[in-house]
Amino acid sequence: MIRPIGGVTLAALAAGLVMAFGVAPREATQGNVQRIMYLHVPSVWVAYLAFAVVLVASIAYLGRRSETADWVAHASAEVGVLFTGLTIATGSIWGKPTWGTWWTWDARLTSVSILFVMYLGYLLLRGMIEDRERGARYAAVVGIVAAFNIPLVHFSVYWWRTLHQPPSLMKPGPGTMPDVIVAALLVNFAAFSLLYVYFVAKRVRLLRREAEAAG
Amino acid sequence: MADNWGFVLTAYGLAAVVLVAYWRRLVRREKELQGRRLASQPPRARPGVSEPLAPISGHPRSKPASRPPLP
Repeated sequence: MIRPIGGVTLAALAAGLVMAFGVAPREATQGNVQRIMYLHVPSVWVAYLAFAVVLVASIAYLGRRSETADWVAHASAEVGVLFTGLTIATGSIWGKPTWGTWWTWDARLTSVSILFVMYLGYLLLRGMIEDRERGARYAAVVGIVAAFNIPLVHFSVYWWRTLHQPPSLMKPGPGTMPDVIVAALLVNFAAFSLLYVYFVAKRVRLLRREAEAAG
Repeated sequence: MADNWGFVLTAYGLAAVVLVAYWRRLVRREKELQGRRLASQPPRARPGVSEPLAPISGHPRSKPASRPPLP
């Protein structure tokens, strides 16, 4: 089942690249550097999705003590950290030519960094506690508490004055972007979501095998 | 504004390296676990490993098809 998802994901990623570099036009103000958006925005979308899944799986684990829920939470947190790291790195690379700086302590950048560190801590906590059941329980609590940071990250651009622009797509009301740019973004959203599903499925299978091997 | 293709390529290149590295890590770990699981199984349960037909006695044995039927 995982292999076909991998094939579809690869095709979707290729389609995303074609949309980002072949179909979407050169942006009038920023030039071609704006094409980083087709990587940066889907990355943060996957990070939000991953941490939302951690929240749901953690609640499920605390409620039913299901090992599968714990594996899903663990796998999703790991993939979420990966994509949050990518979001920060690609944002920094995009920031240099457009803002003139690699980094600034603005509310969006700071809150997303806190999000990254929190889930990194979540993974470290899991690795530090030897008793598997206790580690899973503590991690579930952290997974629930850390999720409160997601709305803070998303709405930080409204609540504080920031250098980072407000969202152009994930916001209420009519869109301000041309349809072709929205289409390119949506294709990349779909491709990155598939990549998320593929990575999580593979990681969950690995966690199950590790648990079987440990007895 | 200048196109800054260098920044675009750096961002996409970095993402490709990170994602492929993570995928390779998952695949490698999976192979490791599979190898360990096979090593811990008895030979009969391993695919492609068959038990010897008869204990080795040191005497040459004829093939069953070449033996005459018993009187």
